[in-house]
Amino acid sequence: LMEELTLKGITQYYAFVQERQKVHCLNTLFSKLQINQSIIFCNSTQRVELLAKKITDLGYSCYYIHSKMRQDHRNRVFHDFRNGLCRNLVCSDLFTRGIDIQAVNVVINFDFPKLSETYLHRIGRSGRFGHYGIAISLITYEDRFSLHKIEQELGTEIQPIPKQIDPSLYVAEYQMGGD
Amino acid sequence: VRVKQPPEQISDKVAFTFNNLSLSNLPQKAQELKEILNNDEQLWKWVAQYLVIKRVSLEHNFHSLYAGLLNTLNMVMLFDAVLSETHRNIKILLLSDKQINNIPDRTLLKNLGHWLGMITIGRNKPILSTDLEIKSLIIEAYHTGPQELLYVVPFVSKILESCTKSKIFQQPNPWLMGIMSVLAEMHGLPDFKLNLKFEVEVLCKQLEIQLNELPIHNILINKEYFDKLEKQLSMPVPT
Repeated sequence: LMEELTLKGITQYYAFVQERQKVHCLNTLFSKLQINQSIIFCNSTQRVELLAKKITDLGYSCYYIHSKMRQDHRNRVFHDFRNGLCRNLVCSDLFTRGIDIQAVNVVINFDFPKLSETYLHRIGRSGRFGHYGIAISLITYEDRFSLHKIEQELGTEIQPIPKQIDPSLYVAEYQMGGD
Repeated sequence: VRVKQPPEQISDKVAFTFNNLSLSNLPQKAQELKEILNNDEQLWKWVAQYLVIKRVSLEHNFHSLYAGLLNTLNMVMLFDAVLSETHRNIKILLLSDKQINNIPDRTLLKNLGHWLGMITIGRNKPILSTDLEIKSLIIEAYHTGPQELLYVVPFVSKILESCTKSKIFQQPNPWLMGIMSVLAEMHGLPDFKLNLKFEVEVLCKQLEIQLNELPIHNILINKEYFDKLEKQLSMPVPT
């Protein structure tokens, strides 16, 4: 039985951007935030590979996984990511039970999903312990209706990203005891 | 002694570098840092502070990565700045008001202890008693109260974890054995909290030390010994 996913403890933001500004926006986030590990979601397998290649060239530490990769290969990448061999993971929608890596304190929707169910699977956390973190969605003009719909369907609030984000919202040890 | 914040363009680059640091790119990222900071000693001091406060205290999962960065950079000045910043922050936490539910502070202290052990003992360098006197810290905590013990015992055991990796500070190193025998004495006392007992037992197991074979010197319960200690857990009250 699937455990219920929750958005509790996750502060959700969006940034309004044009498609061609997305990588620049990502760069800014990675220069301003304090990221332990991050997961970056794209809407298609091609875009996962393209983005991963692009940001690796820009000096990011990143792996990628998507649904067209062999299962054993995916497991390997995910295992190495969990062990901290790299800092960031670009991926398509293949998590069905929420992310359960404690070190991941930032999740980025590089592409915004169409369905609230997908959004919940990407951002939501399973388990009893409150994970703290932030989720940042890059929203284009075309996404504006999905944003509104998803907020309504999930009964949650996605706020515009402020200039400064309080670290106590996503740097785990400010709230709870780590190990 | 907060170091002045550098221009935004520099702090952005440093944050980006730390957000993307991994074992496989250590040499490149170390080189990048050198290029960003040049030989500006003030900037390196700021990085030392950033590393300890923003990264090491909070990201215990990347301690060996950050220690690896120090090794790769191999700068005595940076290493000294990081070590003194580590001690400075430990002192702040040890002197702070110890409330029972302040789990964040306890976690910060544990993380700093783990890191301190790694960059001293783990590299076969001593922790100087002028910086931190561990044995008397435990004795002081015992006499001060249960809250203090909840802070100090896990902190000490995180430091001593690194002894397993050290040629010098393994059993039967007298500095280590002195501390362990105080912990053993505490373990044998009736009012010692169960979770702290476990903490001591786990530490012994890691260090491959037999808890019941440690000599007990009865210094913990000796009030005179405590009275003469230089206190590390509270500021001397001005008279």
